[in-house]
Amino acid sequence: MADEIDFTTGDAGASSTYPMQCSALRKNGFVVLKGRPCKIVEMSTSKTGKHGHAKVHLVGIDIFTGKKYEDICPSTHNMDVPNIKRSDYQLICIQDGYLSLLTETGEVREDLKLPEGELGKEIEGKYNAGEDVQISVMCAMSEEYAVAIKPCK
Amino acid sequence: MFRGSFVRFSADTKWCLVSSPETSKVDYVLFQAATAIMEAVVREWILLEKGSIESLRTFLLTYVLQRPHLQKYVREQILLAVAVILISSGNPTVQTLACSILTALLSEFSSSSKTSNIGLSMEFHGNCKRVFQEEDLRQIFLLTVEVLQEFSRREHLSAQMSSVFQRYLALANHVLSWNFLHYIAMFESSQNVLLKPTESWREALLDSRVMELFFTVHRKIREDSDMAQDSLQCLAQLASLHGPVFPDEGAQVDYLAHFIEGLLGTINGIEIEDSEAVGISSIISNLITVFPRNVLTAIPRELFSSFVNCLTHLTCSFGRSAALEEVLDKDDMVYMEAYDRLLESWLTLVQDDKHFHKGFFTQHAVQVFNSYIQCHLAAPDGTRNLTANGVASREEEEISELQEDDRDQFSDQLASVGMLGRIAAEHCIPLLTSLLEERVTRLHGQLQRQQQQLLASPTSGSADSKTLDDLYEDIHWLILVTGYLLADDTQGETPLIPPEIMEYSIKHSSEVDINTTLQILGSPGEKASSIPGYNRTDSVIRLLSAILRVSEVESRAIRADLTHLLSPQMGKDIVWFLKRWAKTYLLVDEKLYDQISVPFSTAFGADTEGSQWIVGYLLQKVLSNLSVCSSEQGLADDTVQLLVTLVERRERANLVIQCENWWNLAKQFASRSPPLNFLSSPVQRTLMKALVLGGFAHMDTETKQQYWTEVLQPLQQRFLRVINQENFPQTCQQEEVKQEITATLEALCGIAEATQVDNVAILFNFLMDFLTNCIGLMEVYKNTPETVNLIIEVFVEVAHKQICYLGESKAMNLYEACLTLLQVYSKNNLGRQRIDVTAEEEQYQDLLLIMELLTNLLSKEFIDFSDTDEVFRGQEPGPAASRSVSAADVVLYGFPTLCNQYYKLITFICEIFPEKIPQLPEDLFKSLMYSLELGMTSYPLKIMSSEVCQLCLEALTPLAEQCAKAQETDAPLFLATRHFLKLVFDMLVLQKHSTEMTTAAGEAFYTLVCLHQAEYSELVETLLSSQQDPVIYQRLADAFNKLTASSTPPALDRKQKMAFLKSLEEFMANVGGLLCVK
Repeated sequence: MADEIDFTTGDAGASSTYPMQCSALRKNGFVVLKGRPCKIVEMSTSKTGKHGHAKVHLVGIDIFTGKKYEDICPSTHNMDVPNIKRSDYQLICIQDGYLSLLTETGEVREDLKLPEGELGKEIEGKYNAGEDVQISVMCAMSEEYAVAIKPCK
Repeated sequence: MFRGSFVRFSADTKWCLVSSPETSKVDYVLFQAATAIMEAVVREWILLEKGSIESLRTFLLTYVLQRPHLQKYVREQILLAVAVILISSGNPTVQTLACSILTALLSEFSSSSKTSNIGLSMEFHGNCKRVFQEEDLRQIFLLTVEVLQEFSRREHLSAQMSSVFQRYLALANHVLSWNFLHYIAMFESSQNVLLKPTESWREALLDSRVMELFFTVHRKIREDSDMAQDSLQCLAQLASLHGPVFPDEGAQVDYLAHFIEGLLGTINGIEIEDSEAVGISSIISNLITVFPRNVLTAIPRELFSSFVNCLTHLTCSFGRSAALEEVLDKDDMVYMEAYDRLLESWLTLVQDDKHFHKGFFTQHAVQVFNSYIQCHLAAPDGTRNLTANGVASREEEEISELQEDDRDQFSDQLASVGMLGRIAAEHCIPLLTSLLEERVTRLHGQLQRQQQQLLASPTSGSADSKTLDDLYEDIHWLILVTGYLLADDTQGETPLIPPEIMEYSIKHSSEVDINTTLQILGSPGEKASSIPGYNRTDSVIRLLSAILRVSEVESRAIRADLTHLLSPQMGKDIVWFLKRWAKTYLLVDEKLYDQISVPFSTAFGADTEGSQWIVGYLLQKVLSNLSVCSSEQGLADDTVQLLVTLVERRERANLVIQCENWWNLAKQFASRSPPLNFLSSPVQRTLMKALVLGGFAHMDTETKQQYWTEVLQPLQQRFLRVINQENFPQTCQQEEVKQEITATLEALCGIAEATQVDNVAILFNFLMDFLTNCIGLMEVYKNTPETVNLIIEVFVEVAHKQICYLGESKAMNLYEACLTLLQVYSKNNLGRQRIDVTAEEEQYQDLLLIMELLTNLLSKEFIDFSDTDEVFRGQEPGPAASRSVSAADVVLYGFPTLCNQYYKLITFICEIFPEKIPQLPEDLFKSLMYSLELGMTSYPLKIMSSEVCQLCLEALTPLAEQCAKAQETDAPLFLATRHFLKLVFDMLVLQKHSTEMTTAAGEAFYTLVCLHQAEYSELVETLLSSQQDPVIYQRLADAFNKLTASSTPPALDRKQKMAFLKSLEEFMANVGGLLCVK
């Protein structure tokens, strides 16, 4: 993990998470559950007894691994929210399972893996077919992965 | 002609059935023959020899068996005759069989969903049913009554006999629940059928022995819960008897009096079984709903009082049992259902009270009200959570957010109880006041004690949560009842102070000391009883002040940092009540009342110290709540709703803006600092809306200037500061920046929501500046869907709230802004594929929003309060709209909301830009046509809603008109409309559809017929040539001729179209049921 951090660019130094009151979280927003950056896919509140105080029940999906996490906490508590950054890069080439990407500032990044599964195949397919494509990259809590592909404009 | 002896007669009929093959093929003759046999059996049973009966029975059965191709209705008629023969035999097994046959027949003739789907036209079915109900059904009923009579006379019933008994009882229920077909309505409703037989049933039903029989039967079997269901249902049906069966009002009065006697005789003095509760409540509810007031009051006075006494007694008793059910957490809440029904009956009964002398219901109302309160209060005053033997049970269950609040879940009950409370205001208002005041004192004491404990040992948890919870629950119910008693919940119109309350206050105003009353009101921090002369105060104001005292205890606990001990539920109740109260009483408009209570006008009237004080107090309450309730969504919601109520009417807003707290709130919100920025986004939006609404109160120019500087300018300044930063494209993803942007966008939505006709000019100019900048944001945040959605939402809100008020040039500005937005959106999404396979509707939020935006923009064509016209036609949102069409159609059929929105949009497009449709690219055109077809054809399969189908039909008219204008017979649109002609034709003629659909389909149909006259004639020819029955053929041919007679040759002018639509109505009434097959 440590060596991956070295290659992240831009906002080094910005904190990777910030606190937010539990009740202010939103479905489809992000939250840290069990130390992982998650997208909130389910959020419900309940209370114990009619005159009890609200508790928030969160279900999140790890934005990188797709694993499911759950948590429940009083709605007055603070939770950590990951800082999420998305960038689009132009794909230059694929080498040894790694992507070569051209950033907006003209630098080349070669530290991102070709993702596994469908998306990976699609990227490879488009690349082999000689199409110009852009790769969307998402970064959260010092991890960074390619998450989407679209044709270059 | 059949009056001869039976032997001769049966020979006649047999002859009819078998003799010549020619005769026996005429279904109608066969049908009549079977009817005749049946009647003869009934009439001449005793005269018949056993042998000849049996031979007749065997003959009939064999006849049916050997002729599988008999018309269904003939077969059924013969079976009916067999059943009648079987019933008369007296043998239980045989009688059971007969009963089964009859039940099956009944199901077949009733047009409920139980009817088999064998291809009979609706019309034919209707005719059969009509014949059946006039003759055979009555016959069956009389037979059943006879059988029941016999059973009820027997002392002991064997198991077998009682099972037969049960079957006949069920059969009687079936007959009495018959949905009688009257000549007016062809299509009938099937739920909650009331008994409305035709005149021919008079003798059968008005015979008092029939009614008595059912009471007797019920008394006999009431302990058998299954049978009791049926007997009670029979009685409930009899209790709903109405219509032409009564020759005059006198007959109705007699019937009712008789029925009530029977009812009281049956239920007085018995212990009601659980299984009887619902049935008995339906009987009473039917009596009260169906019989007019003047008939109710015309029965002997004694009898009527006994009836109302009985109703009171039952209501209270069911209420108590319902409470027990809740404690035991039963699945099947029979008493709750029965209680609901009786409370509803009370509402019906007392609402129209001019037929009863004043005060007639007061004592009853007191009893029902008391018992309701009792059931909802904890011991010792009440019985809440007590089981039958007086043991308290208390469980802390998990309550999910989806569970409805009591005030909604029990709104019907509360409305009835509130109404009864008004009738008995003299009793109920002081009762509520004292119960509340006592609990306020206890709550205050309890909180203080717990605070002491916390101070003494901060680590120990709160020991006594039960006492607090009991108090909270008591106060919760008392507030709900008080809210429903003092005010109505109205939407849109100005709610009025209920006349009973006004009268009550006026009646006592001479005994009231106004100053003490104001003092009680103005000192919520003090005990009411500590104020000298507290008993000489206006009771209604004192009740309000009791709730203010609850509120004050809560506010003080918040200040003392005891929020964790408070109940968010009670907090909600308080602001809910205050909102409801403020809408009705605050700044009471004297013009709306004949007479006004002096205490009211002094305490809450315009330009009074009282109203200024209350406004200040309420505002203080709102602030106090908002400071702590960011974690309690529901409480925050109700609190900001109260705030909106305070400012949405100008008169109240004028007072609000004079409060310093209001300005503090505005500043605090503008600074986006805690605690207000922790509030959820919907709450923040509503808060913004309230702040904007308040800005339109009456102020001098300077103050107004200052206000907007405080409220709106910071928003603009902050926003511009962020987006004009040089490195904004780099910093835009930083969380602080994103939050700043999100907060601004949310606030913009709130501002748009505050739009009213007189502030639109100012708000539009303010928002327009932002909209232009927002488009730039679309580019910056193209990878952040949450933000993109929010940006589109701002446009949706602005278009939704403002476009109908905008003049030409402003509307143009808005269109241009939206167009640019759509272009940017399209550019960023072109070729985009979504990988997510577990798609849920909300993931297409952006699509939904775009379609909503387009629909809102197009709506200007229909709803326009400005004086502009023809702005839009020059523009072309067409391309952008069609883009969303092509994007949408692949996926949206699984998502109902998206689907409806999509169809709304394409219908709008067809209606407003029909000339653009033929110019669409081919694949887009095809997918549009396919969408329309799908929308129309999926409706009968229940895949899409009827609304979608109607929208599609509405889209067809302008398309066909466009074709007619263009006159290009080889154009794709022309060919498409030809296909649609067939679809609409089939829909109208062959399928079952609702009346609204007929209108929409009719218009489309006419235009299509005009366009494709030859094809239309062909369709008619094909349909006619497929008819084998010459009678039907002729009727159809005539109907089709008549349909187009008024419009030959069909032409697209309004007059002809209207004539056609009128003929179509006749056509549908005449032959609509003929080809439509169930």
